[in-house]
Amino acid sequence: MANDKSSMQLIARGILSENPIFKLALSMCPAVGISTTVINGVMLGIAVLFVQVFSSVTISLFKNKIHPRIRIPTYTLTIATWVTVIDLALAAYLPEAYAKMGIFVKLIVAFAIITMRLEMFACKESAQDSFWDGLGMGLGFLVGMVVIGLVRELLGSGAILGYDVLGFKPLLFFILPSAGFFVVGLMMAFFNWIELAYKQAKGKK
Amino acid sequence: MKDIFTIIIRLTVSCILAATVMGSAFIVTNKAKKHNEHVNEQKVRYALLGYSADKPIPDSMALHEVYRYIVSDKQSQYIGYLLSGKEGFIFLTLDLSGKVIDNKSVEVDEAKVLEKEERDKVVNGIVGAGKDAKFADQTIIVTNNGERIAYLLDGKFTGFKTFIGVMLATDPKFTLLGLEILEHEEDPGLGAEIEQDYFRNQFKGKTFEQLKDLDVVKEPLPDEYFQALEGDIAAEDAAKILKKYGDKDIYALTGATISSRSVNNGVKSIVKKFAYRLNILDTALAEQKIEVAF
Repeated sequence: MANDKSSMQLIARGILSENPIFKLALSMCPAVGISTTVINGVMLGIAVLFVQVFSSVTISLFKNKIHPRIRIPTYTLTIATWVTVIDLALAAYLPEAYAKMGIFVKLIVAFAIITMRLEMFACKESAQDSFWDGLGMGLGFLVGMVVIGLVRELLGSGAILGYDVLGFKPLLFFILPSAGFFVVGLMMAFFNWIELAYKQAKGKK
Repeated sequence: MKDIFTIIIRLTVSCILAATVMGSAFIVTNKAKKHNEHVNEQKVRYALLGYSADKPIPDSMALHEVYRYIVSDKQSQYIGYLLSGKEGFIFLTLDLSGKVIDNKSVEVDEAKVLEKEERDKVVNGIVGAGKDAKFADQTIIVTNNGERIAYLLDGKFTGFKTFIGVMLATDPKFTLLGLEILEHEEDPGLGAEIEQDYFRNQFKGKTFEQLKDLDVVKEPLPDEYFQALEGDIAAEDAAKILKKYGDKDIYALTGATISSRSVNNGVKSIVKKFAYRLNILDTALAEQKIEVAF
């Protein structure tokens, strides 16, 4: 199965039509647990972006050498390696950010979205396409985290990026993990609605 | 059968590859990481003494590290102290009743002493064969123009889940100047609140006498006290309120009584043990007329 999409289409697909959080509904735990503020979302999103791109390219480069029966352990090993490298690099060069997100970084090993992209895409396609796909998926995750973080931070603590904008806390409930599901659910509905509207508009032409 | 061999070989090769990548990343980043840890430690120490990046410590002040080792041979145990003397380091061995057994000057680089592994090697070299030296803890004696002004104590004790690592600052009379939680794994929102100012600052200003029977009370923290501890109000008002509550016990954290208690007990035992040990060490130093830097 050869890939017939251009690099831009691959990126757009990761962000919109196959957004990992809103469309594929993968990696919901971190999305719900960590996205209480925009900054948290951005930091985790960037870390996932790097791991996704590196792992996708690595698997794609070695795709002919991976025995089909042990592909999942190999994926896990690859992801774990890159997570460790990023973890070490962050601890060494960005100690302040690391102090805040250290435990989340280690969790990336178990993110479904990364394994899933390796299985669905990287193990079949060329390294170049895998790079763009990884980038798109990582960006999609980042965008998802930021959007959820924005809603939850604004409604939960009345602030954006730590700056108090509302001056009061509208719904404290939104910073609790369970509210994450509500936000994700509403966002999913919103994304589906956009897609439907887009298709209808296209159909009318 | 053939499949199994290919699988084994490929898995092994990929593990080796992964290990190489991780290993090289570790080698590249390790130095910077260690440096960060040192910087962080220094920052915590200065913060406890009331200094920061905007307010650097004066030149007259100096921090002297004292490392305590447990030295044991087949029959008995001794306490070994690695201290900075007037020139170079001194390794002092005391028996359990405080009598000086041995006193050696040590020629070693200061940078080597800062690294735990290197230091352990040096100390084990000094105590000689047949004896084993184990690192116990380290304290820092802060001097200003040669006068002792504070002690910084490192300590670890059990919390609700795992260990809680703290650093304490006391003045020469063992009145607490501050408490910093360095590491812990308590539950977020409950036990993890021990990190917060409103809990930590309750220990500030407790004298040694108060500390001896300091207890944890399960009462709600008064609002004004909370604001004063958090530093939300003007410094003058806060000082008044802090004085008013100064002789109270520690208010337990809501839903985390065990964590609060373990911090309280841990802090108490660290200070009490240190006061006892320092007394023995000072007596021994005075008796032997050993010149030290602090």
